[in-house]
Amino acid sequence: MALLEVDGVTKQFDGLVANQDVSFHVEEGEIVGLIGPNGAGKTTLFNCISGFFPPTRGTIRLDGTDITGWAPERVVHQGLARTFQVVRTFPDLTVRENVMIGAFARTNSTAQARRIADELIAFTGLASRADVLGANLTIADKKRVELTRALATGPRLLMLDEVMAGLTPTERVQAVELIRAIRERGVTVLLVEHVMEVVMPISHRVIVLDSGRKIAEGPPAAIVENPEVIAAYLGEKYRPQRTGED
Amino acid sequence: MTTATVRTGTRPVFWVALGLLAVVLLALPLILRSDSRLNIAILVLVYAALAQAWNLLGGFAGQISLGNAAFFGLGAYTSTILFSRWEVTPWLGMLGGALVAAVFAVIIGYPVFRLGGHYFAIATIAMAEIVLTVFNDWEFVGGAVGLLIPFARVDGRPADSWYYLQFNQHKEPYYYIALALVVLVTAVTIGVSRSKVGYYLRAIKNDQQAARALGVHVLRYKLIAIALSAAFSAIVGTFYAQYLLYIDPETTMRLELSVLIALVAILGGVGTVAGPLIGAAVLIPAAELTRSQLGGTGNAVDLILYGGLIILISIFQPNGLMGLVERVRRRGRGRPLTPPSDEEALAREEAPLLGTYEEERG
Repeated sequence: MALLEVDGVTKQFDGLVANQDVSFHVEEGEIVGLIGPNGAGKTTLFNCISGFFPPTRGTIRLDGTDITGWAPERVVHQGLARTFQVVRTFPDLTVRENVMIGAFARTNSTAQARRIADELIAFTGLASRADVLGANLTIADKKRVELTRALATGPRLLMLDEVMAGLTPTERVQAVELIRAIRERGVTVLLVEHVMEVVMPISHRVIVLDSGRKIAEGPPAAIVENPEVIAAYLGEKYRPQRTGED
Repeated sequence: MTTATVRTGTRPVFWVALGLLAVVLLALPLILRSDSRLNIAILVLVYAALAQAWNLLGGFAGQISLGNAAFFGLGAYTSTILFSRWEVTPWLGMLGGALVAAVFAVIIGYPVFRLGGHYFAIATIAMAEIVLTVFNDWEFVGGAVGLLIPFARVDGRPADSWYYLQFNQHKEPYYYIALALVVLVTAVTIGVSRSKVGYYLRAIKNDQQAARALGVHVLRYKLIAIALSAAFSAIVGTFYAQYLLYIDPETTMRLELSVLIALVAILGGVGTVAGPLIGAAVLIPAAELTRSQLGGTGNAVDLILYGGLIILISIFQPNGLMGLVERVRRRGRGRPLTPPSDEEALAREEAPLLGTYEEERG
């Protein structure tokens, strides 16, 4: 049984269809990339899975449990945590306190939450920033805090929404290393990215969305060759000749 | 340069200062030696406790209530009715009032917390005004005339009684009870601030969506905050009723009272443990002294001066009087006093994109 099963999910906002009959699954221990051009419906799908929007149709199962339409806080306790594309670090809380909020999903003890936070802060390389307020962090550190505190909830599936956006090339390399290390800890990762290049090297499988529909799925090497994907990213004009001729 | 705000540990100086403060507070009735000055001291403590109770909801959870007088009034009325009709000791009445207020707060909070931002504050005003109107027209609770609390009597003469929480001969016990209430609410506030509930409330104040994404049941924790705030406001209400020995809806539930409670906490410094206490210690004597010295002239000079003080604090200490304390504590350590301005924050966020971000791996 797959860890995450998304089955025929459709999300409509009034007349606008943001997701149309999207189905895919994520196996335990995988790193899966979810990509697509701007407006493809990635973040909407993300919000449906993590409980921020109820899908109009379709079901979402986490480890066999139907979590369709569950509130986000309930989804977290079921073992699914997410980050936000636009960082939402708590500005008045220190880095350690930010991470402790996540850790409290697992414990009622402040001391225990602090221990979990300190261990994870060291793991993600934020140890020297532990006492800095969220408001005073660089964007790269804020993204790292988002990831660390999501990890602190003890998820089986971690969904990262554009963690690479806005990072320098050096920081991206560090982020890739970190995501691999997270998987080594036994956490499955679903990665949403706009930029294709960052997803390809670390994903076992890639799912491509365009205009709300899934247009391709497969190993990264096959995806970059896929004419539909190339067309979606570059426009009809650049569609390879053999599929465009007539 | 990266700016860092480091939490300072509690130093011996703090404990010495706290010890001195305790001695002064315990000895204060002996120093004041007059009922009118003792009255001001008791009012300071009453508002300190009310502002601290408000702080749990408004300061930590960031839910600005302008209706806390309703909880205060419910506490005053519950114990008074239990006492005047069934001779239940006000100490039990105090617990009864706390329970009534907490249950009422949860019933009100459940729908009202779904309102965002300023609408919550507006809804709390409406809630308190409705309670005020109901009590004004409700015969059973004395209507607009209010209720007199029967004197505790020994041999037919009004007497002091701990059981009945009445001190008709000597007022000092009122002072010590009020002081104990302030210590109680403050201890609870410190306990909450160090617990999961306190951390969650601060997260909710910062960003509710982010809190939900981390598993925080936002509504549940807001309800805990309003129940605690209501319960402690009600306890102070019982005390106040026993102190005045007369209550009516206007004295215990008017909007002005709700606003003053919020004002004391906000000008003192929200979300800190000491802020509401400092706010009460500064604002209440200022209000009472300007009124006793300058009031009654008919030209409202006292209110102008009092209003002026509030404006000065707002302009120069937008973080409340606690901001002043922080400034002294941090002087010479090169730490920022105020959160960075939007421009600074933006500049800081853009820095890594411009390649000036210094690499750092732990």
